[in-house]
Amino acid sequence: MNPAPTAAYVSGSGRPRLTFVSGSVLAMAVLMLAAWTYIAFGQSWPSHGFFSGETASRAWSFLRDLAGVGRESTPAYLEGAEWAAAGRLALTTLAMSVLAAGIAAVGALLTFMFAARNVMVGELAPYRSPLWTAWFGVVRLAYALSRSVPELIWAMLLVFIFSPGILPGALALAVHNFGILGKLTAEVVEGLDTRPARALRTSGAGWFQVIVYAILPAALPRFITYLFYRWEVIIRTTIVVGLVAAGGLGMEFRISLSHFHYTTVTLLLIWYLLLVLSVDIASAAMRRLAR
Amino acid sequence: MARPRAIESRRAITLILFAAFALSLAGVDWSDGVFRPRGVGAIADTLGALFRPDLSPDLLRTAAAAAWQTLVYAVAGLTVALLIAIPLGVVASGTIARSRLGAVTQIGSARAVLAFFRAIHELVWALLLVAAIGLSPMAAVLALGIPYGGILGRIYSELLQDVPQAPLDALRRSGASEWRVFLFGRLPMALPDMVSYTFYRLECGIRSAAVLGWVGLGGLGFQVQIALEDLAYSRVWTFLWVLVVMVVLVDLWSSQVRRRLAP
Repeated sequence: MNPAPTAAYVSGSGRPRLTFVSGSVLAMAVLMLAAWTYIAFGQSWPSHGFFSGETASRAWSFLRDLAGVGRESTPAYLEGAEWAAAGRLALTTLAMSVLAAGIAAVGALLTFMFAARNVMVGELAPYRSPLWTAWFGVVRLAYALSRSVPELIWAMLLVFIFSPGILPGALALAVHNFGILGKLTAEVVEGLDTRPARALRTSGAGWFQVIVYAILPAALPRFITYLFYRWEVIIRTTIVVGLVAAGGLGMEFRISLSHFHYTTVTLLLIWYLLLVLSVDIASAAMRRLAR
Repeated sequence: MARPRAIESRRAITLILFAAFALSLAGVDWSDGVFRPRGVGAIADTLGALFRPDLSPDLLRTAAAAAWQTLVYAVAGLTVALLIAIPLGVVASGTIARSRLGAVTQIGSARAVLAFFRAIHELVWALLLVAAIGLSPMAAVLALGIPYGGILGRIYSELLQDVPQAPLDALRRSGASEWRVFLFGRLPMALPDMVSYTFYRLECGIRSAAVLGWVGLGGLGFQVQIALEDLAYSRVWTFLWVLVVMVVLVDLWSSQVRRRLAP
């Protein structure tokens, strides 16, 4: 590793100067202070404000409910049938996450080359026409739009369109991650060594051939790594889109919570954690395989 | 570089990816059809309003207030995340332990706590916290701060472990205690990357804070939900465009910071 990565911190004079970075850190601190001031004094809240004795006792009784302490019925997490039912939901949720990652990957793979500056308007650009540059802008905007809107909000929009089930949830996750994967892959392309691509170009390859034979193979390993990282995020988020998109663990979670079936909530959380853990392990194994 | 093993594993990955995708497609219930009865019309409504957001002054004022609340949650949540991540991240790096056994137990226990914090999505934390302590800003701030603390803490611990060892050895040989080695060697070397990653999480925090509105805690997500209940797509897109602008601005800011901090 580079032995001196801290050049910015040890440069020159003893007095700290106000650089962009230190200014930004300062601005962040001011923002934090403003935010806490606003929370403390800026608004009137219907229920209790900060931590009080009452919130503490409510939190404690909620924890007892989750564990099923002081109830006559057997807690759901001790019943085999409940485990099996929640397990089926977990399997559906897993399918939702794979579907989402797959659709996002296909979308990003089909578009990422149009969002990389160097192959669109830079040294590898096929045309210098405003129309081509506009297309670059459109793809970039599509990425920004799709990744800025959170998965849950996409799901809220998509449940009006698609039949309930795991499909609207998977699509909502896919739309959001399409923008993230596309942007990340385009950034990989922008950081590539373009000499092989230029060599192909000078030997007569067209733009599309350069993309397929020089850019894509070089960007693909990083793309696969990002895809698996995103899968880890997606599995955590499936439960959230499930809350509104009527599929998997998420819906059952919300129903149980609003019906005060707290021990079922605990069981669903256990399955959720098992799912997250196994996807983390699987993703790490696949990333090692891809390396 | 085309070693046979690399090609083998690439084939294996391709096969696994396609098989998994095909299996998950089989998991969808196709019997009801893909679209709702009036679903195709809803596509037209949604997309039609995309470039016709409602820009009346009243709505823009509401949007600005909601945006501010979302920013407040994001920033306050990040504060909580830092309060969790800095101490736990340092412990999880195992760099301040006195003995080898101490390091192993510190790394193991702190990592387990961090993994638990970040395994649960912020909105699930929000639902649980609202059920536990009621609809208060504390629920929103903690819901964001706990999982983000888990993520930041893990990254901090890895950054603190991955610093070059030679300067640390130099400090040790000149008689510095482990604490001083940490304070004057490890921390300053890891700090630029830690700051950089924290700024990156701010961008994600804005999006997450917007979503917290869904459980009734206010902000942009709450407004989107209200507008959707009225099927007022042009109002939905007003709030969504405000969110997009906010995320893009914060993204620009944080990427400028990160570019200047890159080694």
